[in-house]
Amino acid sequence: MKFFKKISIVFSICTLSALALGNYCPSHATTAAEKFGTPDAAFDAEEMGDMTGYDPSNPVIPTGDTIKIAVVASFSGPAAANGEFYFNIVQWVAHDINQRGGIFVDGKKKLIQVFQADHMGKADQARKIVERMVLQEDVDFLWGTDGSHMMKIINNMADKHGVIALNATCLSDDLQDATNFSPYAFHAAYSTEQVGRAFGYFYGQRQKESKFYILNQDYSFGHNLADGFKKGLKEYYPEAEIIGEDYHKLFLTDFAPYLEKIRASGAEVVFTGDWLPDAGNLLKQARRMRLDVPFANIYMDEPNFLHEVGPGGTSGLMNLSAFSTENPQFQKPGYEKFYKTWNNLYHTTWNTAPYNTRTFENYMGNWGNWTMVTYWLMSVVERAKTTDAEKIIEIWENDVYQYVNGKIVKMRGCDHKIIHDLVIHEFVPKEEQKVSFNIEPYYWYEGTSSYGPSWVVPAGKILPWMDPELERCKGKSPWGE
Amino acid sequence: MNKKIQWTLWAAGLALIIFYPHVFGAYYANFLVGIAIFALYASSFNLLLGYTGLLSFGHAMFFGTGAYGTALALTHIDGLPLIPAILIGIFSAMVLAICIAPIVVRVGGAAFAMVHLAFGQLMFMMALKLRHVTGGEDGIGGFPTPPLSVPGVFSLDMKDSTLFFYFAMAVIVGSLFLMRFLIKTPFGQVIVGIRDNANRINYAGFRVPHSKAFMYVVSAAFAGIAGSVYVLFQNLISAYDAYHIMVHFMPVIMVMVGGVGTFIGPVLGAVIFGVLEEVVTYYTHNVGVVYGVILIFVIIYMPLGLAGFLNTIRMRLSAIWMKSADKSSA
Repeated sequence: MKFFKKISIVFSICTLSALALGNYCPSHATTAAEKFGTPDAAFDAEEMGDMTGYDPSNPVIPTGDTIKIAVVASFSGPAAANGEFYFNIVQWVAHDINQRGGIFVDGKKKLIQVFQADHMGKADQARKIVERMVLQEDVDFLWGTDGSHMMKIINNMADKHGVIALNATCLSDDLQDATNFSPYAFHAAYSTEQVGRAFGYFYGQRQKESKFYILNQDYSFGHNLADGFKKGLKEYYPEAEIIGEDYHKLFLTDFAPYLEKIRASGAEVVFTGDWLPDAGNLLKQARRMRLDVPFANIYMDEPNFLHEVGPGGTSGLMNLSAFSTENPQFQKPGYEKFYKTWNNLYHTTWNTAPYNTRTFENYMGNWGNWTMVTYWLMSVVERAKTTDAEKIIEIWENDVYQYVNGKIVKMRGCDHKIIHDLVIHEFVPKEEQKVSFNIEPYYWYEGTSSYGPSWVVPAGKILPWMDPELERCKGKSPWGE
Repeated sequence: MNKKIQWTLWAAGLALIIFYPHVFGAYYANFLVGIAIFALYASSFNLLLGYTGLLSFGHAMFFGTGAYGTALALTHIDGLPLIPAILIGIFSAMVLAICIAPIVVRVGGAAFAMVHLAFGQLMFMMALKLRHVTGGEDGIGGFPTPPLSVPGVFSLDMKDSTLFFYFAMAVIVGSLFLMRFLIKTPFGQVIVGIRDNANRINYAGFRVPHSKAFMYVVSAAFAGIAGSVYVLFQNLISAYDAYHIMVHFMPVIMVMVGGVGTFIGPVLGAVIFGVLEEVVTYYTHNVGVVYGVILIFVIIYMPLGLAGFLNTIRMRLSAIWMKSADKSSA
């Protein structure tokens, strides 16, 4: 009798808590796979084309009657590396599909042609180059980009000219809000609020650290990310304390004043959204100053600078990934095949910088996410059997897709935002990476710490922000249903 | 050039503008709008440097403020018509100029340039820091573009690229002619006199600082118009697009290459850089290198800019023609 009494008390408390806190009960944490079940389409590594000889620095680009994708990014100036990265990713997908013979659209098989469209980080140039791509080159898809303000222009132009714009990399939540929403724009990257809340949820579940310090770049992205983290802590870990908050200017070379403040504060974790080169300089200087506090980050995973710091200094970093799954990472044979294809090309064919640097050695993190969302778009085109934007929108809305590593994603129909689980990796030295890298040689990197233990942040806990003012979303649940 | 040829040229120019979007299509229509906006911006700078003798390294303050004024007005005032939105942009730039003018018109030369560089950077940092107002690096975008309308008479959709082309060209060409007219007035001649010899103008009884301040505000107003049309065209303005150091230097480079102190010089400069960028980006991403080479070439071989160079050639040809005419008559 006593047992039943206890059970009923626990049940009542849990039910009341769930009602009061809006489903905050670990048992209600729904993953994307649980929610969506069988995907509408999946990436099948067995169908991959022959990638032998693929070299991004010397790509084979078909011409003529093709499916045209413009990679709109910085290909010149201080952020030129971004363009190189993105181009490699999209060109990889194009090469693979072209090797398979192309995609059957509008009555015939067409190969994929990729264009480099340099926006130079300038709004007027972005508009001009996108118009050139759409009106002069007749591109079917716009793929972007570095900088949310640039993505806004791309989306705006996509809306004006009726072509599909895929946002694979920008994090700003307002890109798909009531003011900026376009039915032609699809946001397939995680967003600032999602990232912040994911870390809030993770630390709330872990209950190990409770004193946090925020150090971000001093512009909209850094502030929005910090707001997301504060929101996440408030939501999932109200006992946690933010004991310091600083914003530094971009491309800072001396972090010492901030690092001294962090040391004095007694912070247990530093949350940072810094991207390169700031992320690298921040970590290097922190370790030189013997400040061993872990960084919760999204971009502190670039292998070249991690190798400069070494395994000791990089151990304990907590990195958020939009591509990974729960450990071990190579659960699906297809992913192993894909990974080895990439890794072999890196060792045998990619001899030109930047593709011969450690950055490209392993197929993981951003490479994984960016390739998969591009494959997803191509899968939608294949199913639509046309490049007609309206038909593509119809199929992509609410589409559920499975990545090569088994990860399930959905495009929320009403505001075109991706719904997916995120994964937080703890960086550990080579000998402990086996828990994550479960195939030969059982480690990602030898000279630096890398992915070790991982924690899945279920999609249900970090559903992307939905603008209540957006007419299309009124009356929909956060899952978009 | 006699009146008949002048009128024929104007008529040809007008016909070109009317038929241009229909002949060349939307892409090249927008391309021309982009050039025209920078031509106006450079011309407004030329009022300062070319006609008043004031070199500013911070002219983007007014361009950016005009753009922000219009963008913020359209974002926050529901149903704001087009013309008042542009007027708010112009007014914002003028108010900023009126605030700064008492300080800056009392200095000249390098000090004037450096003070503007400082003010320009201050505006840039403020735009980045006050991100709740300006949107910071992400900027303000997605605001409604109102139609050009006279209630009960007509309403033209400014989202239509052809109609926007006509509207933008009307505003920009009209502004260019207003500037030209201003320089031809007696006051304009006083301004040119200040550039050439401020002391003499002072002795003649004109108030030099006040005249400079007036011209400064007028120049800011025209930069504000350029910024306002720019933001309507782009539907986005961010701290970088408004106040970045390159936005300050762009009109300086355009005016130097096109020809300082001439009406056509800044327009030529904007056309040269616009066309150059359009052509060069088909072949290379390194547009900056090409810009640099051209600037070095112009400074060494055409110190008066393209307009000055063409004028020199014209004068030499007419001298040769006169000489040969003299010989034949003798």
